[in-house]
Amino acid sequence: MPIYLARRLGQSLLTVFLTLTTVFLLVRLAPGDPAAAYAPPFASSADLARIRAEFGLDDPLFTQYGIFLRDLFTGNLGTSYSFHAPAFDVVMDRMPYTVTLAVAALAVTTLVAVPLGVWMARRADTKRELGANVMTIAGQSMPDFWTGVMLLTVFAVLFPVLPASGFTTWSGLVLPTITVAVLQLALVSRLVRREMVSALTSPYVTVARSRGVSERALTWRYALGNSGVPLLTALGTRFAALLNGVVVVEVVFGWPGVGSLVVRALETRDYPLIQATVLVTATLAILVQLLVDLAYPLLDPRVRLGKAA
Amino acid sequence: MSSTAIGTERPSAVTARDLARATATRTRRSAHVKLWAGAVCTALVVVPVALANVLPLPGANAQDLSRRRLPPLSEGHLFGTDQLGRDLLSRILHGGQVSLTVGVLAVLVSGLIGIAAGAAAGFFGGWVDALVSRFLEAQLALPLLMMLLLVVALFGPSVTVITCVIAVAQWPEVARLTRSLVLVEREKPYVAAARVLGLRAWQVLLRHVIPNVVRPASLVVLLLLAQAVLLESALSFLGAGPQRPFATWGRIISDGQAYITTSWWLVTLPGLVIALLVVGVNLLGDGLRDRTRRRKGAGA
Repeated sequence: MPIYLARRLGQSLLTVFLTLTTVFLLVRLAPGDPAAAYAPPFASSADLARIRAEFGLDDPLFTQYGIFLRDLFTGNLGTSYSFHAPAFDVVMDRMPYTVTLAVAALAVTTLVAVPLGVWMARRADTKRELGANVMTIAGQSMPDFWTGVMLLTVFAVLFPVLPASGFTTWSGLVLPTITVAVLQLALVSRLVRREMVSALTSPYVTVARSRGVSERALTWRYALGNSGVPLLTALGTRFAALLNGVVVVEVVFGWPGVGSLVVRALETRDYPLIQATVLVTATLAILVQLLVDLAYPLLDPRVRLGKAA
Repeated sequence: MSSTAIGTERPSAVTARDLARATATRTRRSAHVKLWAGAVCTALVVVPVALANVLPLPGANAQDLSRRRLPPLSEGHLFGTDQLGRDLLSRILHGGQVSLTVGVLAVLVSGLIGIAAGAAAGFFGGWVDALVSRFLEAQLALPLLMMLLLVVALFGPSVTVITCVIAVAQWPEVARLTRSLVLVEREKPYVAAARVLGLRAWQVLLRHVIPNVVRPASLVVLLLLAQAVLLESALSFLGAGPQRPFATWGRIISDGQAYITTSWWLVTLPGLVIALLVVGVNLLGDGLRDRTRRRKGAGA
């Protein structure tokens, strides 16, 4: 177990490190000059050169990379050009908002998709199930930014019952959460349905039924309990994807999260900020996946970590 | 057909009605419904898009400032006009040509990469497998959309770049599936037989194993096409989509967003077109998958 954990952590560190290096190279190869975004309008080229020197952008790429690595190991991610504050702090200021949105969306998805999937499994291949299936596929098929704009128009403009953008009250959470959840519903509910259908037809359910276990217990305790591992895996992957994937929804709703920060950082070529965002989101996503893997033995005692096939 | 045979030729407690209500029949029927509905939705979008150059439409970029923001069904403009007096239907159809080209090409490229990498990983195992699997895992953890935006900023929003970017985003799905299929296929007797006959490993893989996994692997391709179209529209929405020769769907929506309160059609109609296409492709892919799964189940 400790060996397994150490190996997983080592792999994760390597992944994060390689990702950071890729991003470091990509942003510096990309056209666009941070100095131009940072300087006042009509700055002279001498001013621009001075700013570049100040940021260390006129050093050779290798020197910059060396400095970047040295700073990284001392826990210094640099100063954001546009916020004039440590990049790590700027990201961490925004992170709670993105995590809130991701958690809320995932909670709504789970609360709707699990019962829906169970219902679909109980009524597998009926007309009503087909209808529900088509509805979730339709939800998955709408572009998220479009769903967002539509919800905004209906519930914030035509019938102003919910705030249009930002996160000042908790009601501001409703529309972005729905937008993200609609996209995830199909995936999770279909997974639950598939697992439940195979569980409900397996021998242990027949045996339990013959011993007089109630249908309700069969469905929720026996079959759903055995669908726990794949469900948790899917939810973990979804959460990791959400941390990175709510960019578009955050832009639509003016959500003060990491996603809208990234878009702005890319526009202004704020290198330290881009790198800090990648570091934080990648680390968080990997941590969540690791936690999910560690939770397997709790759900299914047959799983032995580190002895996977 | 088989139901009447049972009903008439030999006495059986199973009536035709029972058969019609049996799970197998219902599964087949729902796969059938999905296939048809999917085909119709897809055709409703793809056929007009393909014919965009032939249909009698105003030019997609032809502005007429005296006829700005006309509502749908106005004279000569079925979907109305946008803020610069351009015909919305024409813009959607021409933009759709770009979107669909990007989607189809991206899926082809990601399919090729995915099948090659997945098959190599599954067949050779060892360090090849370790390498490919690491890549797959890393990509799961990456802030994908961010990387895509970055690459587009680096190489410019041309059709080629966006196609490659989407392909890179999608190959893991194909690779993962191909790898698992090849892992099963590798253990079958015919592979051992081919080896005994003296074929080299890569010959066995290319000539015998890959042809057996291409069909099931290509089924995910339709589902990937739906995702590719969505991804492209999201990139366009964020301003990182192709600009020439025509604005694509995401771009049309983000342009229309400023006029949402006064001109609802500028956002609603392009979105509906995307949704219709993606629903259609998803249903088609789903129906095909259900059908093959049933066949496999019947054969086993």
